[in-house]
Amino acid sequence: MNNLFGYVPGNSVIHRLNPVTKIFLTIAVCVAAFISDNLAYLAGLLAVDLLIGFAAGVPGKTLTIFRGLLKIALFLFALQILMIRRGTPVFWIITDEGLLTAVRVVLRLVIVCMPLALVLAVTRISDLTNSFVQVLHVPYQYAFTLSTAIRFIPQFLEEMNGIMEAQTARGVAFDKARGLKKFSMILPLCAPLLISSVRRTDQTAAAAELRGFRLRTRQSAYKRYPFTALDLAAAVFSAALIAGALLI
Amino acid sequence: MIAIRDLTFTYKDEKNPALREVSLDIPEGGFLGVTGPAGAGKTTLIRAVSGMIPHLYPGDFYGSVTVNGMDTFETSLAEISRQVGTVFQDVDSQIISPMVEDELLYGLENFGVPREEIPERIGEALRKVGIPDLRYRDIASLSGGQRQKTAVAAIIALRPRVLLLDEPTGELDPHSSLQVFSLLKELNEEQGVTVIVVEQKIMLLCEFAKQLAVMNGGRIAFQGETREVLAHAEEMQDLGINIPRVTTLSRALSAGTGREQPVCINLDEAEAMVRGLMK
Repeated sequence: MNNLFGYVPGNSVIHRLNPVTKIFLTIAVCVAAFISDNLAYLAGLLAVDLLIGFAAGVPGKTLTIFRGLLKIALFLFALQILMIRRGTPVFWIITDEGLLTAVRVVLRLVIVCMPLALVLAVTRISDLTNSFVQVLHVPYQYAFTLSTAIRFIPQFLEEMNGIMEAQTARGVAFDKARGLKKFSMILPLCAPLLISSVRRTDQTAAAAELRGFRLRTRQSAYKRYPFTALDLAAAVFSAALIAGALLI
Repeated sequence: MIAIRDLTFTYKDEKNPALREVSLDIPEGGFLGVTGPAGAGKTTLIRAVSGMIPHLYPGDFYGSVTVNGMDTFETSLAEISRQVGTVFQDVDSQIISPMVEDELLYGLENFGVPREEIPERIGEALRKVGIPDLRYRDIASLSGGQRQKTAVAAIIALRPRVLLLDEPTGELDPHSSLQVFSLLKELNEEQGVTVIVVEQKIMLLCEFAKQLAVMNGGRIAFQGETREVLAHAEEMQDLGINIPRVTTLSRALSAGTGREQPVCINLDEAEAMVRGLMK
C-alpha cells in the first residue's frame, strides 16, 4: 500500500514537470474523460494514461495500478450490466444500452484513477505542497494538512501492524480469519489506533510550531518552481485533450 | 542562560502538579543532565524550558521561566524557538517530512536562513550525527536509530543557543548513544551551546554532563555538580535510579577501608583509585 503510492525517484520528462503542471494534466485527463462519450476517444485517453506512466519510467508500477483498477472495474462492470434495464435485450437480462454505459463507466474509472495514483509516484509530497503554496498561493496551513496526512499513511500502517502483532502474540488468530470475520476482528483495533494517532498528531503539531511553523511564508521554501518550455508543452497537450473531448 | 523560579505546573484536567516548586539555574554554556524515575516530571521540565508550556499545553502555571532574558510566558513560541531547539522523546511524532533532506530543510526555511547557507548547514548537520549517506532517503524506510539521528540533525542544523533533548538515545545502540553525547559535548564546548538532556543511562550523564539534576515526584531531589549529586548515591538508588558501578565501587571501598575515598564518576578515576589503594 505504502509502496503503491510512494514516490519513485527519477529524472524523466514527467518527473521534471512543475508539480502544478502535473496536477493540471491530471485534472485535464479527468475532465476530458467526463466530457467525452465517444468510446474510441475514451480508449485513447486510457492509452495516454499508460503512456504517461511509461514515459515517467515507472512501467511496473503503472501496470500494477492498472491491474488493481481492472479488478474493481470488472466488479463495477458486472453491477452495471445487471442493473441497467433500458434499451433492447441482447442476452438474458443484459441490454445493449447497459453494455455501452458499463463500458463507459469502467473506462472513466480507470482513466481518472490512474493519473491520480501516478502523480504521487512522480512527485515528492514536499514539492507538491511547496509549489501549491508558491505558485497557486494556497494557504500554507491547508497544504501542510494535506502533506502531513499523506506522510502519516505509512506510519499508520506500521502502528496497525504493531497492534495486530501484539494481539496475535496473545492468541488472536488474525492469520486464520478471512473476509467478514477478519474485518470484524480488525474493527476493535480502530479505537487504540485512533487514540494513538490523535496523540501523535498533537505532538507533530507541536514539533512544527517549535520549528517556526507560524513564521513560514509563501517564499520560505528553499526550492523554486519555475515553469519551463516542457510545462508549456504539457499545458497545450492538456488543453488539447479537453478540446478533443468537446469536439469528438 | 536559563533561570527557573519556583515553577509549579499542573496540566489542565489533572489534579496533581507535574512540577512542584522547581528552581534551577543553568549558566550559558552549561550542560545539565536530568534523570529520575518515570513520571518524575522530566518531560514536563523540558516542555517548560522550550516554551511548549504554557503556549501549547494549557494548565496552572506558577513561578517563572526565563531563557536568555526572555520570559517564556510573555514571549511567543516562535520567538523562543529561534534560540531553543528541542528533540522530543517520541521521535516519530517529531518528524514532519517524508524525506530526510526535507526534514532538515523545514526549520531552516521557516526561520529564514539565507538560501546560500542552507546546503552547507544540511550537509554539516548530517555529517555531525553521522548519517550523510541518508540525505535523500525516505523516513519510512529508516530504522528507529536512524530516525532519531535525523531528528537530532534537524535541530542542530538550526544552530540553537539552547539545546533540549528528551531521552535522545532511547532507540540507539551503545555506540550511537556515545556518538550523540560526544556531539553534544562538542557543541557545548566549541560553540558554547547550553544543553539540557533527559537521560536514563546515568553512565553517559556522568561522563558528559557538567551538572546533574535528579527529579522525583515533580520536585528536584538533588542538583549540583555531577560529583556532588553522586554523593547521594544511596538515596538515588532508593528512587530506583541506577548508579554507575564505579561510583558503587568507590563507596564500597570507602566503607570497606574505613577511609573516605573520592566519589568516582568514570572508569579512569576508578582505576586510579584502585591502583592507589593497592600500593
